[in-house]
Amino acid sequence: MVRKLEPYIIASWHGHRNDTDIPAAVKAVWDQKFKAPRGRTPGRQSNVDIAILDSRGSLVHSFDAANHQQYGRRGRIESYTADELSRAASTLGLEKRPTKSPALKLPDLQGKQGIRVLLSLDDERMHAYRAPVVEVVPVEDGDWNHLAWPEGERRVSSSVLLPYLSQIYPPGVMDRTNPATKEVYGIKAVEGDLELSPVASKKGTRHAILRGEVRLVDEGPDDFGYKGTLEIVLAYRDGESTPHALRGYFDGLYPRSDRMHRDIRWLPLQAAIESIPE
Amino acid sequence: MKRTLLYLFSLSATVLVAGTGWSDGTGTRGILERYRSIRPEAKDLAMYRLDWAASLDDALKRAAKESRPVYLIIIHAKYGDIRSGHC
Repeated sequence: MVRKLEPYIIASWHGHRNDTDIPAAVKAVWDQKFKAPRGRTPGRQSNVDIAILDSRGSLVHSFDAANHQQYGRRGRIESYTADELSRAASTLGLEKRPTKSPALKLPDLQGKQGIRVLLSLDDERMHAYRAPVVEVVPVEDGDWNHLAWPEGERRVSSSVLLPYLSQIYPPGVMDRTNPATKEVYGIKAVEGDLELSPVASKKGTRHAILRGEVRLVDEGPDDFGYKGTLEIVLAYRDGESTPHALRGYFDGLYPRSDRMHRDIRWLPLQAAIESIPE
Repeated sequence: MKRTLLYLFSLSATVLVAGTGWSDGTGTRGILERYRSIRPEAKDLAMYRLDWAASLDDALKRAAKESRPVYLIIIHAKYGDIRSGHC
């Protein structure tokens, strides 16, 4: 399917029907989607639609992304989307257009220094939740001063890593949303002390290890949180006290509430953490 | 939400080798190996081979300039960033 999407510029938009600033293309799709069908019951619909626009921004084709008739069958959405794309391709004349195989380009900050978090939730029941999440967070001057080269072992509060570790929450956290605003509860605090220790250096670069157990706490009213192990290798150039790069991981368990079985499922939640640019 | 994610998951499939260049020195090897094993493989990051625009406005400007069509994903929800996967 990636090949079929190569000619397109991809964009996403989210909002509600009562929003005041709905783009024209979205309005056109929703007018059709939510129009009451004459003389019959409305069919099942998902909350995701696809709009194909031509280069002038005019709506050429649209469809419900989840294909409710085939919903739940593995591979059905891919084949359904491919079929819909084929229809649009003939209208747009894309079959004759040569395509090139695009390179993988992960989210970055256009050369600015930052941290990239690549998150994975191992949910054996919900295959869709296993899709990786990739977030980037800028690093400002002075942000890493608290990670200055350690002459010996010392303690560092994990709270100094809040801007990065706050990205470590699973996708689809429907059970952790504010009932009034429908917004997801963000991670408001990181708890736990870390040890920062120097290790042997090589090739003009010194390394230190930052490690410990951390607890991530969200904004909800019930002190909801989850724990994991954090281990990060920090690299320091000779003569510099603050690190210039880091790589590491978070390895924890997320307690997802299962309303159907009135149970808590402990799901492995892992994140690779890396500085950018590489 | 479940369907948003299912759709996102269906976009995935690819190749990338995590750039290394980090020496696996004393004490750091285990951590760097664990980092590599946890980092999603390229085949799972295929959606990042697509040509994403930062916004619909940006996509429409580029579409006019580059004479290309736009594939717009519309999510009926208060929050959600399908590009990052946090939705």
